[in-house]
Amino acid sequence: MPEKLCTIQSRSNGIAIVAIPGSSDTSARELLEAIRRQTSALAGKDDINGLIFTSSEGGFCRCLIESSSSVRDAGELASFGQQVAFSLEKTGKPCITAVEGECSGLGLEIALACDFIVASQTASFGFTGIAAGLIPFCGGSQRLARLVGKSKTKELIYSGDLINAAEAYRIGLINRLYSEGDALTETVKLLEHICTRSPNAIRIGGEIVNAGYDIDLQTACMLERDAFALCFASFDQREGMQAFLDKRTPQFKGE
Amino acid sequence: MPYKKLHIEVMNRVGYILLESGSRFNKLSITTIRELKRAFTQLEEDEAAHAIVLSGYPGESFAAGADIGQMVHFYPGDALHFSELGQSLFDQIESCAKPVIAALNGITMGGGCDLSMSCDIRIASESLQIGHSGAKLGIITGFCGTHKLPQIVGKNFAREIFMTSEIYTAAEALRMGLVDRVYQHNVFWQEVTAFAERIASHPLTPLSAAKRLINTAVDIDLRSGCLLERETATHINSLQSFLPLI
Repeated sequence: MPEKLCTIQSRSNGIAIVAIPGSSDTSARELLEAIRRQTSALAGKDDINGLIFTSSEGGFCRCLIESSSSVRDAGELASFGQQVAFSLEKTGKPCITAVEGECSGLGLEIALACDFIVASQTASFGFTGIAAGLIPFCGGSQRLARLVGKSKTKELIYSGDLINAAEAYRIGLINRLYSEGDALTETVKLLEHICTRSPNAIRIGGEIVNAGYDIDLQTACMLERDAFALCFASFDQREGMQAFLDKRTPQFKGE
Repeated sequence: MPYKKLHIEVMNRVGYILLESGSRFNKLSITTIRELKRAFTQLEEDEAAHAIVLSGYPGESFAAGADIGQMVHFYPGDALHFSELGQSLFDQIESCAKPVIAALNGITMGGGCDLSMSCDIRIASESLQIGHSGAKLGIITGFCGTHKLPQIVGKNFAREIFMTSEIYTAAEALRMGLVDRVYQHNVFWQEVTAFAERIASHPLTPLSAAKRLINTAVDIDLRSGCLLERETATHINSLQSFLPLI
């Protein structure tokens, strides 16, 4: 049952909690396919405003990378994995990974493709594949280097060591650190709070952050200027600003 | 022409631009942005100033974003012009040949946050309240924040700040790298002036060259950056023995 690899644990107040335990006898390809299937279905749903990826008791994104795979197979897997990671950046909805236990290998790749990561004290992070001859392949080396810098990224990939939650918090790999057992409940609260904001602004803002990051300041600012102007053709802008002036809570429609 | 929203002082080789709109929040209205442009031009030309400090001290806010009363009536065309005006101010601050320090005395929201990010260094009072409330207003920032915030704090913190529209404290801003130093409010101004005077005591030519190089470094690859550094350093360092000892 591939759906057990990646299941929608609950769906309330517009927030979908996606548990991705994976399993130790499933292939990376199968797991990635399950993730893509679930998330692309959720991305298309108007009543879903945000996504949380989380572990369950079974772990987070556990999978098997076949030792006998050919160069060609490994290349195809990397290409597919990168597609899936990019698709997570394009859901148009806020997407947070909440970590309670170990988040390593493919799990860290998936977490890095989300908007940001939060965790509890018991979490740990790393790219543990090096001992088996593996390096990240879904864009993890690039995303991690952009997030925590080149030196830390090399330290993690070369050593294959796991770092604890406090260290992950210190280096900026995770945005927020919660008490043991609280990661998911706190993330739900955080995402519910985010979902009171304009979905339109969040979507456009996220896209412009991603689009502008790897290009020069001048071009990025031009993109931003056009996107900013576009907001002034939206319902959300009129409503948000009028509500601010009237000192009331805005009712956004995301249009 | 006198200023209405700010005033300027020059003391001990430091030029101060002090926002003083007369209200609790220094809003970045069209008038304020135009006056800021004029003030930066004036201090860049003023040879008595080797460094510039931008602040709202001793008021309660540094700058608190755009004037929503003005903006609520904007059509896309107005928004585009407003964004261009703001971006041209920030471009001017980044291209200014003198180091610019943002002294964040208090509330620093939205466009005010972007304004601080166009400065070279951000020093905050512990009473800092910083954030981006665009998503609460149904817009994104139009003042280069979507590019600069991720460059300064990383994409993940930037997305969190934009998405939550929350107000962050000085300690949180320091952890994310959004501000470089934090001081207690009672010693804040003393530390700001001491720091600015120390920078301003150095010769201007290498300060400007370093500013230019570091700003360029973000946009280009390592090899080109090193090439540029070599050429610039060769030129600047050969001037060393001729520097006036002032």
